[in-house]
Amino acid sequence: MKKRILTRFTVIMFIIGLMTAIQYNTINEPHIRDTRDSWEIRQELAREKQLHSQLLSEIGSLDETLDKYGAAADASPEQALRETAGELRKAAGLAETTGPGIEIFVEPSLEAVAMGLEIEGISPDLLIRLVNEINRYNGLYVSIDGKRIINTTAIRDINGQTTVNTKPVQTPPFSLKIISGSMEESEKLYNHLLASRILDDFYIDNLTLNVSEPQNDMMIEAYDGTIDTKHLQASEGE
Amino acid sequence: MWLSILGLILGISLGLLTDIQIPPEYANYLSIAVLASLDTLFGGIRAHLQQVYDDKVFVSGFFFNIALAAGLAFLGVHLGVDLYLAAIFAFGVRLFQNIAVIRRIILAKWAEKKEVRETI
Repeated sequence: MKKRILTRFTVIMFIIGLMTAIQYNTINEPHIRDTRDSWEIRQELAREKQLHSQLLSEIGSLDETLDKYGAAADASPEQALRETAGELRKAAGLAETTGPGIEIFVEPSLEAVAMGLEIEGISPDLLIRLVNEINRYNGLYVSIDGKRIINTTAIRDINGQTTVNTKPVQTPPFSLKIISGSMEESEKLYNHLLASRILDDFYIDNLTLNVSEPQNDMMIEAYDGTIDTKHLQASEGE
Repeated sequence: MWLSILGLILGISLGLLTDIQIPPEYANYLSIAVLASLDTLFGGIRAHLQQVYDDKVFVSGFFFNIALAAGLAFLGVHLGVDLYLAAIFAFGVRLFQNIAVIRRIILAKWAEKKEVRETI
């Protein structure tokens, strides 16, 4: 009798265990499946590779700085520091910069002039779009109507006037200057802008973009304001 | 007793190792079935300890409870009323009651044994 009870209990326990395990399996099944095809994975890989090469070049430039420090440490540490500070100022947009680049002239469209339409200022949205387009193609340094774009630059509408760094942008015509890393990149940017849909967007606002051929010695003004670093903190570690 | 625990371990390991899955829509039913079977199991243990255990009641109760709970849940889904809550509530309450009774019986037995030992 006792043996029979034990067998029954064992069978029931077995079924309970099985059901619990199945329930556990079902609940723990991952709901998000990887549905990317090989092309998407390839693109992801390309992105990561780009990041890889970018990091490598960054490491290279930092190593260079380190070497420079090492070489100049005995001769004149002040000179090395000054050079680094100069480079950092250049990167932050506080120094005048020269390099290969292009100039874009924003002008009222011929049709608007012929029709006698009133020329209105460029809208901040359009200007931001243009800057984004430029940044997509490695525009390193940009200035709009003589106003240097830095990391904290705001392009916005203040009292009906489009401003860059809180200074109003002229009613067209005015020009943008863009410096790229190399002549090759400048040419790429030039071709991209010529084929870009942004031209149509400007045309809707009765404006045209004239992109100049890449030049070797484009000069961009320095940022003339002060950079507010009140809320910045030194990073920990290296 | 050890044999039944072995059965439990065997069942769990078989389920985990074979990696059987059911469609997520039916997970609700299975969870109720697990609850119903646990209820029947503890009911059986209690009945055994109270010496009122009946083989037929135990086995039929096991399958009938599972079927009833799953059927109630099924009906609830189709009527738009969460009827499975009724099953969960009933089984949950009974589970606690059964475990409480089992605990009392074991405690009483333990106390009895201790008394006997002390008198010796």
